[in-house]
Amino acid sequence: MCNAAAADASTAASIRAGFAHWLRRAGLDEPRLCDIVLALNEALSNVAEFAYADGPTGRVDVQAALDRDRCTLTVTVADRGQGREGQWREGQGREEQRRELGPSHPQRRRGRGIPLMRALADALVIDTSAVGTTVVMRFDTVDVRRRVVALGT
Amino acid sequence: MNHHSSAAPGFLESDIAAAAHTDCVISEQWTGRTVVISVAGVLDMLTSPQLEASIAASLPKNPSAMIVDLTDVGFLASAGMGVLVDACERADGSVKFRVVADGPATSRPLTLLGLADMIGLHPTLDAARATLSA
Repeated sequence: MCNAAAADASTAASIRAGFAHWLRRAGLDEPRLCDIVLALNEALSNVAEFAYADGPTGRVDVQAALDRDRCTLTVTVADRGQGREGQWREGQGREEQRRELGPSHPQRRRGRGIPLMRALADALVIDTSAVGTTVVMRFDTVDVRRRVVALGT
Repeated sequence: MNHHSSAAPGFLESDIAAAAHTDCVISEQWTGRTVVISVAGVLDMLTSPQLEASIAASLPKNPSAMIVDLTDVGFLASAGMGVLVDACERADGSVKFRVVADGPATSRPLTLLGLADMIGLHPTLDAARATLSA
């Protein structure tokens, strides 16, 4: 899908928009498309915000694989940032927990990306190490009506 | 037969050119002491500060109610949701706060995260207004 894209917010927006356009042309229904694009956006936003927080903006690789027989779409977002070791906001998954933090607590307003990805994707794996993070999201029952040959690599 | 070949560069370049969906337009309208802040376009980590600023500018004008209307929002990211929750909390008590949103891009993720009741989510502006006079 794209390799070594700049891991910043506006590139994330471009990737997201391009992906949405591609899914739409492939004939995916709008509600499913919205879920998938939002989940991708959250993964990219986390990269933009946290992956390279301690240094210059790095790169992000995005891959998409469509299994037409199983009707699943697997999206992989990988970075080589070290900014998230011990820093990734697992996000207060439940809003009640979030509210227990003081109003000016930095985690109050942010950190919903991972809970969102978990809610939107049928499977989510986040693999963080000292050399980077890979997020793999799988979406089931992806019914693509039109043949799309080029998924890119 | 479509013309995509496996040697094509992939969807990214051509699709990005056609999909310039990154803007956000915010407008504000007062009716009496109710302010409706309407958002059109994209509410993501880049654009949500605009909404945050608009809300921050309106609250000191002492509205009795604030409605954030996302009817024309095509994409709502967690950053945008955070602005809504934050605004709701800032409005707490003195200002009635409502959000208008309906559809897979907006009300669905808000509902999935359990935010609908907290932010006063309604599917239409009329529905939201109707709850203000209670």
